[in-house]
Amino acid sequence: MARIAISDRLMLIFIYTFLVLLSFSALYPFWNALAVSFNLGIDTSKGGVTFWPREFTLENYEIVFQDDRLLNGFMISVLRTIVGTVTAIVMTAILAYGMSRRELIGRNYYMLFFVFTMYFGGGLIPTYLLYRSLGLMNTFWVFIIPSLIGVYHMIIFRTFFKSLPAGLEESAQIDGCSNWGIFFRIVLPLSGPVIATLGLFTAVAHWNDWFMPSIYITNEKLLPIQTMLRQILNANIVTDMSNNLDTASAGRIQAMRTITTKSLTMATMMVATLPIVMVYPFVQKYFVKGVLIGSLKE
Amino acid sequence: MPQAASEHQYAPLPAGQPRRKPNIFVRIIRQWDIQLMVWPGILLVFVFAYLPMYGVLTAFMDYKINTGSNIWANTWVGFKHFEAFFNAPEFYTVMRNTIIISLLKFVIGFPAPIVLALMLNEVRHMLFKRIVQTITYLPHFLSWVIVAGLVTAMLSTENGSVNMLLMKIKLIDDPVNFLSLPEYFWSILISANVWKEIGFGSIVYLAAIAGVDPHLYEAADIDGASKFKQIYLITIPTIMPVIIIFMILAIGNLLSAGFEDILLLAGNPVLRPVSDVIDTYVYRVGLANYRYSYATAVGLFKAVISIGLLAMANYIARKSGNSLW
Amino acid sequence: MKKVRKTSLLIVSAILVLATALAGCSGGGNGKNEPSPSPTAGTGSNNSGNGDAAEAPSDIWQLGSEPLEFSMYGHYNWYDVPAWDSTVAGRWVKENKNVNIVPISAGGNPDQKLSTMIASNELPDVIWLDRGADVERLREMGMLVPFDDYIDKYPNLKTWMGKDLNLLRSSDGKLYQFPNWYTGRPNGNAGYVINKKIYDELGAPTLETTDDLYDYLVKVKEKYGDSVVPFEPGLAKDLQGLGVLYTAFGENTLYSYLNEGIRAVPQGDQLTSLFTNGTFREAQKYIAKLYREKLISQDAFTQTADQIEEKVMQGRVAVFAGANPTVSAMQAHQEMVKQDPDSGYFMIWPIHKAGLDKNKIFPGTYTALGWNVSVITTNAKDPEKIFAFLDWYTGPEGQSLLFFGPEGENWQGFDEDGHPIFTDQYDADEVLQLQKDHDPIMWNGNTGYIDPAKMKYESKLPPEEQNWAARYQSTITWPTQANATEFINLNPLPDSELGIKKTQIDEIFTLAYAQSVMAKSDEEVDKIWDKAEKDAQNAGYSELLAYRTEQWKKNKEIIAGN
Repeated sequence: MARIAISDRLMLIFIYTFLVLLSFSALYPFWNALAVSFNLGIDTSKGGVTFWPREFTLENYEIVFQDDRLLNGFMISVLRTIVGTVTAIVMTAILAYGMSRRELIGRNYYMLFFVFTMYFGGGLIPTYLLYRSLGLMNTFWVFIIPSLIGVYHMIIFRTFFKSLPAGLEESAQIDGCSNWGIFFRIVLPLSGPVIATLGLFTAVAHWNDWFMPSIYITNEKLLPIQTMLRQILNANIVTDMSNNLDTASAGRIQAMRTITTKSLTMATMMVATLPIVMVYPFVQKYFVKGVLIGSLKE
Repeated sequence: MPQAASEHQYAPLPAGQPRRKPNIFVRIIRQWDIQLMVWPGILLVFVFAYLPMYGVLTAFMDYKINTGSNIWANTWVGFKHFEAFFNAPEFYTVMRNTIIISLLKFVIGFPAPIVLALMLNEVRHMLFKRIVQTITYLPHFLSWVIVAGLVTAMLSTENGSVNMLLMKIKLIDDPVNFLSLPEYFWSILISANVWKEIGFGSIVYLAAIAGVDPHLYEAADIDGASKFKQIYLITIPTIMPVIIIFMILAIGNLLSAGFEDILLLAGNPVLRPVSDVIDTYVYRVGLANYRYSYATAVGLFKAVISIGLLAMANYIARKSGNSLW
Repeated sequence: MKKVRKTSLLIVSAILVLATALAGCSGGGNGKNEPSPSPTAGTGSNNSGNGDAAEAPSDIWQLGSEPLEFSMYGHYNWYDVPAWDSTVAGRWVKENKNVNIVPISAGGNPDQKLSTMIASNELPDVIWLDRGADVERLREMGMLVPFDDYIDKYPNLKTWMGKDLNLLRSSDGKLYQFPNWYTGRPNGNAGYVINKKIYDELGAPTLETTDDLYDYLVKVKEKYGDSVVPFEPGLAKDLQGLGVLYTAFGENTLYSYLNEGIRAVPQGDQLTSLFTNGTFREAQKYIAKLYREKLISQDAFTQTADQIEEKVMQGRVAVFAGANPTVSAMQAHQEMVKQDPDSGYFMIWPIHKAGLDKNKIFPGTYTALGWNVSVITTNAKDPEKIFAFLDWYTGPEGQSLLFFGPEGENWQGFDEDGHPIFTDQYDADEVLQLQKDHDPIMWNGNTGYIDPAKMKYESKLPPEEQNWAARYQSTITWPTQANATEFINLNPLPDSELGIKKTQIDEIFTLAYAQSVMAKSDEEVDKIWDKAEKDAQNAGYSELLAYRTEQWKKNKEIIAGN
């Protein structure tokens, strides 16, 4: 008895230590970015700013929030994330449930059909031309419709559904429940963890995507926050790549400003990332153990 | 309507007559409600993934992008681009690096999130657990530009923290130029990758672990099993289906050994003999020179091999009852 | 205050008049890029002698007579065309010349964005991008509008650029590119920046030859150990500071010989192998020695721009060289002297190998064609009108608007050279702010015109008061940058057979370069480059050299005047 307790205890000590170390190393870059974003850019470039701002300033954030289109971008991002995630999860889950049923005729062929698309694709130009001919250019729907089905997520859903006890479905059928009924009334409620997980993944993907808008959207009102932030960064970048001004003038201008590319980048990164990072803690409560208990009341 | 897991019961036929299965379309229509679950998905994927797939054919042409969707206006060159790739002097190096780096990422990077999830599962203190979960998944959100910048600063020979530490504890006398020595590259690359993705990757496994029946643990406790044994005999087998599926997919992705991470961490050209993988090579030599067809051809090559690997992995996994098809 | 301004303005104008009078006298026919024609912009009258008939040919479009709107796209991932009415100049042009520009953004993804626009045939009207391969690609696909019919009707470009304009012609002989910052004046910032405090503490030794430099670096290392980087080359993987050292070893040895656009050394009238070149080998051995003895930053090939900036800002470098060290050096200098007036940085005349003529050493280069170009696509409804605008924009009116603001505020009217006459209300700070705001819309800068206008102000200040960069520009960097215009356009099309070979050779070069810097001995340096030469020859180096020699000869002919 005592022997077991010691090995368990050692393991726990090791686990806690490891987790603390990992957490510190994972947190540092963000903490540092936060500090830099509140620090005077020119001061940051001297190096040595780690945990706290040395010369506190709000000007990096001022530049970011100055742009009044930012609010619009934020709304678009939020709307896209919510609508996109809900619709994609529902569609993909339904598909995955169907695919998980052993009696589905053709399910292996269907599976091959889907898996094939994970490796073979037409490339950007054919895709672009397709979206164009479908009238998706410059609309909100270009964010939603093409990503309704995620094959990778479908596979994960399917794996979960398949691992549910068969008895569950049988007893429901005996009670006269239809297949769709089983899905919505029984399977879905039990899939809390996997819905939470894939919902999180989908939300993150939607929130972080800046590529699609850059290609398919020109209407400013539809640009999400990621693209806006990039534009703000570009507009304020202190670059010596633009050889436009001779060094003397450029230098004099630079002397007037205290913002650097780095400090602005950190500020935009904070604004871009914090909202989505905050989603996970809320989602964690779905990772509750024993969701299946009580469902198989004999 | 009530349906058994297997097919319908058929009306008993007069003795002596062979039973005939109804026509397949009839059977499909009989299970219309389940079929209805999948067909919208099939149509969507058909439209958005299969319709553009003709672009793959440009691998066999000298594609000029102003022809747009009218790809047949380009000259057909057959396997010219494939040959160019296979005959490139860097081909063996690039393939070798791709496979090695991928395998390393798999051997170390695949179990890592699982181990983290298992560890987190042992934590009783709920607040600590949630905080750690949230923090460890943050690095996933950092761009590789930032992560590479951090790694470069840490490994710098001038005041880099790693060198400073090693010199302080007298392990080395002079700073080691880690990022300029080929022998360190793979370790650095894998470590950075694992650190960045371990938290986010563990989420799926945590969700899977949430599905384990706690009664099983209670019973095991009563029997006197140690934590190790419990993990080994209860947790892992329960989440095995998830692990296997992911493993199959990972094997299918063997030829995608990375891109942005390598591009940014292998800045020094001397690292190229160990760092160049298919995607970085194609980017530098192909895309930067507008050789779209070349890039498409290499992509197609990767895809064909990947599907082959996937099929193999799937076949092996079938025996465990968990496979894609 | 006002009185002082008025008198100084008077003095300035007087000097100006004198200067222009003198300029006008010397070699009138040779004024390639500082001509003194009477540039009355807007009307395009052919300068056929004097006293032109007042009738403007009827098919020349007057800017402002009709509304003009077109879309503009910048093919870069760090640049977006700003909203046209967000700048003073933009609003002025909209109101007074009835021109509106609609921005198209690359969204950080220029290559993909442009591909999709090409594939769907929805190009923007004007694209602002680098010269060379991209432009050729577009032209080959028939998507660009040539300017040949327009350059006489709207003559600012032709006038201010002179014969160099022909270098911008494409292989079909037509002109598609509207240049930006074209100039015959030397410009550029490559050179050596020295940390003042360290220099003083080591006794201010002579720093002229490569041996001097070596000795100096050794002393730095001895005294400061690991806390100071003796020689900081910047981003060595882009060949930066090390390329500057290369120029020290031969007269007229240009940094550009190392770049992917040339990778050869002119000898006589041929371009010969860089890999076997004696001067190059010598330079590489010297560099390898410095690196081996830890006199060059060991992080040279791996560090990021941020790390370099940090070192420079903290004063932890003794010698800092590169193609553009002045920007960070200036910033650092200003911050450092705030804490300690004896610190900071200064620049020295370029280092040279003992025995060479120090006036023939050029750490940097420039081309008369400037930095990048604008092109008009076949999508544009009114290409001629757009050209008319661009031409006006590059002329005195447009440039003065961009640099000094609308007429009537900081300036009024033009003097005999066509330069703006500054008014009493000239506000230097406002002018600076304007230049900063207009920087993103300066698409066809006319350096030949605007620099003299600006320098008037700057050069009359005593050296100590002059802006750090301006001072070193005029005394050190500008005189030591070589004109490399004859070496442009030496690249084959990237997706051609020869282009593929070129890429292969580039790969060989970049790898060998990094390896040779880290070599352990002189013999190893030779070994590395001998092998590289062999590999390059196998990949078709002689063919590439022959091609480049051809193109170079053509360039020289054009420059000499057809």
